[in-house]
Amino acid sequence: MGLLTASSTFVRYKVEGTLPDNFMDFADSQIKRFTFRDIDDTYDEFSIGWVSVLNMFDAEFQYASFSAGDYICLTMRVDERKVAPKILKKFCLKEEERIKKDRQIPKLNRHQKLEIKENMQLMLMKRAVPLPATYDLVWSLADNSLLFFTTNQKAQTFLEDFFKETFGMLLMLQVPYNIAESLLDHEEQQQLAHLTPTIFV
Amino acid sequence: MDLVDLISEKRFLGQEFLTWLWFKSDMAGGAIHTTKGDIGFVFEKHMLLEMGEGESHEKVICQGLQAELNEARTGLRMGKKLEQARIHMVQDEYEWHMTLKGSLLEFRSMKTPKTMAGSEEGDDEAAIEGRILDKIGLLETAYRTIDELLMQFIKLRISDHWPTELSQLQKWIQQT
Repeated sequence: MGLLTASSTFVRYKVEGTLPDNFMDFADSQIKRFTFRDIDDTYDEFSIGWVSVLNMFDAEFQYASFSAGDYICLTMRVDERKVAPKILKKFCLKEEERIKKDRQIPKLNRHQKLEIKENMQLMLMKRAVPLPATYDLVWSLADNSLLFFTTNQKAQTFLEDFFKETFGMLLMLQVPYNIAESLLDHEEQQQLAHLTPTIFV
Repeated sequence: MDLVDLISEKRFLGQEFLTWLWFKSDMAGGAIHTTKGDIGFVFEKHMLLEMGEGESHEKVICQGLQAELNEARTGLRMGKKLEQARIHMVQDEYEWHMTLKGSLLEFRSMKTPKTMAGSEEGDDEAAIEGRILDKIGLLETAYRTIDELLMQFIKLRISDHWPTELSQLQKWIQQT
């Protein structure tokens, strides 16, 4: 459902702020600084970064440049290690049983259970394979608008934070009201602000 | 007003827009006038209608052929507004299919016109850039057309002509 797939799903943002001088040099250095770092061989729980829109393994932009005409085209890749709650519960109960049997005690106190849960979470997290997710974006430098190819709200929050961290600019989601507002004059904006729902029947 | 409040308080605007679009398209036999001339604009297959908020929130999903959608039309008569619709848009020789979500103006499952055969697509840097720019251009054409229609609706909605338009829209709802 991305930029180059047969079917695309997207929301729109306005990029707020002024582009720095020598923007392409700035973009080049910032994208390289915030490029995706693989966590397959580490125990990190989370990694977020930019990769090429053509290939999620291309963080060097060898397959395609991030720049196309007046646009910046990037893919935000997010890898996360997750442990399913049912699996965590199973391993906690198993460990609790083992300790009770080992120490020949009838039950464990709250503190012991919490400690087991933390240890199991850590152990399972290390064994979990990071799940990758990719989301394309197209930033039009000519009119400071941006298309983000997902309607997933968690991904939108990741983008808003990560875009600000990378480029130092804010993103404002475009919904019918603010799209209309940006295209109206001052008097019309006042009229728009006072509109209330109409009953159609 | 922050964005969360804006989305919730002005949710009706996008839904009214989508309902109005259906009315305009239906009245003109599947066409809508824009600055680029008349474009084909047909509501088809899938619709989601909504009414009320919180505990009194109701929604109905309808699927059917473009000429029918009887349940959706009944929904309109019950006071529901269009929240999501599958649209087939034709401009010159190009065709787009998209699902528009009214309240947030999200574009979902948009299929853009095929401008070149797969076998003609090269793999060198210039060809890749060309493919990317071509796709962006097609997406922009679609959302700019929707923006233009949104502006037509908003200008009408805040004007003195709205009561006349509303009365025609209400008549259409009762007759469908």
